[in-house]
Amino acid sequence: MDIDDILASLDPHPPSSSSPSLIPPETRDLQALTRHWVAERSTPELLSWPSDGLFERINDKIKRQIEKVEEMTGDMDPKTNFALIVIQTELERWKFLVRSYLRCRVGKIDKHLLHYISNDALRTRMSPIEEAYARRHQLLLHNHYLNSFLGTFPPAMQNLNDTAGNISMIDSPDLDSAVFIRLLKNAEIECHGVDVDGVLTGKEGDIVILRWSDAKGLVERGDAELV
Amino acid sequence: MALPLPTGLTQNEVSFLAEMEMVTVVPRQRLDSIDLLGGKTPQLRPPHRAQLPLWLALLLKKQRRANIVPPAWMHPASLAEIIHRETKEDPEAFSPPPPPPSRALYAQPGTARRLNHQHQPSFLDDLTQTTLDSQQQDPNSILSPPFLPSNVAESPAGYLPYHWLEIAEALLTHAGDDMPAPAGEVRSLLRDLVEVRAAKMRSSTSALEGFGDAWLTLRGVGAMELAENRAFLAGLVDGVRKIGASAEATRREEEEEARRGGEYGGDGDEDSDEDMGL
Repeated sequence: MDIDDILASLDPHPPSSSSPSLIPPETRDLQALTRHWVAERSTPELLSWPSDGLFERINDKIKRQIEKVEEMTGDMDPKTNFALIVIQTELERWKFLVRSYLRCRVGKIDKHLLHYISNDALRTRMSPIEEAYARRHQLLLHNHYLNSFLGTFPPAMQNLNDTAGNISMIDSPDLDSAVFIRLLKNAEIECHGVDVDGVLTGKEGDIVILRWSDAKGLVERGDAELV
Repeated sequence: MALPLPTGLTQNEVSFLAEMEMVTVVPRQRLDSIDLLGGKTPQLRPPHRAQLPLWLALLLKKQRRANIVPPAWMHPASLAEIIHRETKEDPEAFSPPPPPPSRALYAQPGTARRLNHQHQPSFLDDLTQTTLDSQQQDPNSILSPPFLPSNVAESPAGYLPYHWLEIAEALLTHAGDDMPAPAGEVRSLLRDLVEVRAAKMRSSTSALEGFGDAWLTLRGVGAMELAENRAFLAGLVDGVRKIGASAEATRREEEEEARRGGEYGGDGDEDSDEDMGL
């Protein structure tokens, strides 16, 4: 035990566990990232890109950590060597979360390209890069169709976004798909069913299966999270 | 294909999540604090206990740098109690999730506050008022598994945390020698529990049989059990919805009409009253 430890043990400030609401910002970022990832993986439609600069912050941090790993690889002291393993393991875990989140979003955008780019409200859910990707993807795809078969059709039938006959060509995700949520607060949920509609009085911690269209409001308010 | 996985977390992803749970370790070697992306790790000084995420604890365990203190709920007595509750006391429902953890406050001795609670501003507040205020607006201030300390040594016995199966599996596989009882005993109790709960999971779907209901509550279910049955349950719910789509549309139209009739005609017959209530 060195002098620092002794000083630390005499520290008059409360240890972190005794000030309950004070979650360190790093942990909150991890929780936010995890929650975004789980939500994106579980919902039928694309969710909003976090507007609070969460991903910019996380990307910066990951970049800095990679630089640190490169620095540390230089000195091969066996003691820092283990710390390096730990740092790299954690780094890979964060990178997995970010990568899986982004891939999941791109997957959803790919699936319903026109749906997301033709509607202003939905377009704002995408990050600028995702929007540019979606537009470019749609352009390439449409040009490819035009070159291969669509070009021989009459001009009036060359669009991919016809709504003639009250049937839209634009495919959209099924918003009534079942999702699993956990209530973070006691809440009353208005649910729609096949035979009956009803209001579910849910307790905190309940895991509920319901339609995404019913759960959406709760999740957006932060009263529930997807699991 | 950008992501070749179905909607909803898969089992592998669930165990990845479970590795974020905090567990208590007893270090066998000194290890300085490491500056990780998720915050600094505590300084490890044997024999002082410390709380680490499961993935790091397993890494230390594999290198024989630390022992893991199994959570109290994994003790055979606690598991037996849970099995008793699941089979005898309430053979229908899953046993309840752990109560939300509370902590005593440093600033006000004798006051406890829920670790997870939306902060209620009062004159009794901590020294850290400003930070709390900013957190209050943030939905991320509500912790949920895997960020709740439900698998540390102090967490209550007799309750299964959300990630119970994954945690138990990881601990039995890699830290079997740290168990409070022979690993085989814990394992067989866990197997009983898995079976009891799997049967409940299956019978919960019979509640869905006439899935006219709009929801299904599975309070106390575990993450892995959910992941295993997710495709089945979601497929069932969606299937019933699609089959009943036209019936539902007709019902809605009728209700809408009844409501309109009630509004204009002014004679609120019983049917429309009921509909209004919903």
